[in-house]
Amino acid sequence: MIILAIDALEYTLVEEFNCTNLKQKFYGKTNIKEFSQPRTMVLWSSFMTGKNMEKEILARGDKEMWNTRIDLKETFFNRFRDPKIIDLPGFNYEKEQHAKERVLLRNYFDAQGNDEKNKIRTEYNNIAFEHHRRVKKEFNEALDARHDFVLGYFSLADVVGHLNFGNRMMMKMIYKDLDEIAGTIKESFIVLSDHGMEKVGIFGDHSNYGFWSTDFEDIGNPRITEFGRIIK
Amino acid sequence: MTEEKLKFVIVGHVDHGKSTLIGRLLYDTHSLPEGKIEEIKQLCESLGKDIEFGYIMDHLEEERDQGITIDTAQTFFSTEKRDYVIIDAPGHVEFVKNMISGASQAEAAVLIVDAQEGVKEQTKRHAYILGMLGLSQVIAVINKMDLVAFGQERFETVKKDLMEFLSNINIKPSYVIPISAKNGDFIASKTGTMDWYDGPTVLEALDTFRTKENANKKPLRFVVQDVYSFDKRIIAGRVESGIIRKGDMIKVLPTGEKTRVKSVEEYLRNVTEAEAGKSIGITTEDKLFIDRGNVIVSDGDMPAVTSRIKANVFWMDRTPFKKGESLHFRCATQEVNCEIEKICRVINSSTLELITEDATEINNREVASIIIRTNKPVVVENFNKMEELGRFVLGREDTCAGGIITELE
Repeated sequence: MIILAIDALEYTLVEEFNCTNLKQKFYGKTNIKEFSQPRTMVLWSSFMTGKNMEKEILARGDKEMWNTRIDLKETFFNRFRDPKIIDLPGFNYEKEQHAKERVLLRNYFDAQGNDEKNKIRTEYNNIAFEHHRRVKKEFNEALDARHDFVLGYFSLADVVGHLNFGNRMMMKMIYKDLDEIAGTIKESFIVLSDHGMEKVGIFGDHSNYGFWSTDFEDIGNPRITEFGRIIK
Repeated sequence: MTEEKLKFVIVGHVDHGKSTLIGRLLYDTHSLPEGKIEEIKQLCESLGKDIEFGYIMDHLEEERDQGITIDTAQTFFSTEKRDYVIIDAPGHVEFVKNMISGASQAEAAVLIVDAQEGVKEQTKRHAYILGMLGLSQVIAVINKMDLVAFGQERFETVKKDLMEFLSNINIKPSYVIPISAKNGDFIASKTGTMDWYDGPTVLEALDTFRTKENANKKPLRFVVQDVYSFDKRIIAGRVESGIIRKGDMIKVLPTGEKTRVKSVEEYLRNVTEAEAGKSIGITTEDKLFIDRGNVIVSDGDMPAVTSRIKANVFWMDRTPFKKGESLHFRCATQEVNCEIEKICRVINSSTLELITEDATEINNREVASIIIRTNKPVVVENFNKMEELGRFVLGREDTCAGGIITELE
């Protein structure tokens, strides 16, 4: 089983850009209404454990929550003999990379003047793209290595989206790239996002539903905690 | 550069490279704002790819959304010979609507076919529409030649398939050009990739086309939009063709009453004449009953005033037409109710198969030759003689078909 876990993959943009590989045969929105806010760490933690982790994660505070590392035994991944999980928040994601992104994001909003902002935005985008290329490579290698379970987490649409969601061309290029990645997967797979994204001026903020797709079953409007049961 | 600008449309299957071709045309003719192409190139590199010219269209669309580009549907570039306007046709429905409404009349078309995929249903449908709309200046381009190793054999196979279909619908493309929009082969320059081809590039081929006959040279057709009574009675409308001048003897159709133009009124300008394309007002020497939808012509000239029209229509609504249903008939500013008296033939616009003769319904994407009966006489013309009054739309609440008049009774 392959999971293409894409942060902030927005349902409406998948439709608009007609990303046929991401849509597969069946696709729809996930139901995340049980969560007070669509937070990345909360949602992925709930996904892998199969239970609502909001209270527990938020109790760690804004800063500490990013250090969450859930043990394999507590996740549904342990049902597999040789699972390969790439960069998933709450499990094994590259802490320094995401910390760097968060610092730059804060600096961007603190910065005075357009030149300074543009400089930070360029740096922010560059490190996100560079990281994306690395994850993509690792994901391709994992697909070739014949694990019985592969989960590749791609954060580019979320990271770049926060500062550039109003740049339609940039978002389209990212979505088309993600669509190409989905197109390279030769076996049955699920596409899942924690939440989507909505436009706030040129910026993007999390929307209160996620995206799913499969090639084997119409799963309706599932909760993110149900995927452990859906994935066989 | 002396000639007028030429408007053309690029049609074909959605995945056969239309956006890439437009992007490449703009890039090769240096028609893009500085810095934009670098941004696209950089983004492609960030994703580990070569530049994709199709994204230029996304950039242009974005500017339109933000209101930076004034025109909403047209893209411009120039060669040494003249200026060009590419009319956006996202789908065949929009294309037909634009062509029929006259909002963006194309004078030529580029029909694009993927060398690997060959002629598809959508290719045929678009080609059919070109034929129906009387577009005779057509270039067929066989794109993505890079994916078939620039092979002549594959080009000839796709060309043969395409020509077979086109000859059935009486379209004879002026050129069939092998191209790679992605790499820039045979768009603006002849590259060394296809030595077996000795024809022109796309730009050279476009440069050989003629612009449409200047509408000023055609007979006068002034279509009335409204009548306003201020201190004087102003008849407002649009000059679809010809020139209207102060002192001209004119005739109002459908009544046939005659009078003379007392003045030509243009907002904030002092004028004595108005040419084709202008929306203006006139006053007349005699006070005639004139209303929206009337057509003013020169005395001595007589387009048809009729309520029975033979036409070809392209049905583009999911709800089929069923005989007996009443529809709106709109031609220029004329709007009347009509019925379809007879559906002579219905054709599948993709396979060109005759579906049925003397039919009782027309379905989405079917083409039908029909006889229309309007509830009041309208002023119309044969499309081949004068497009301006030869095209019409049929509608319920929204437009559901576009058509051209083939014969008048």
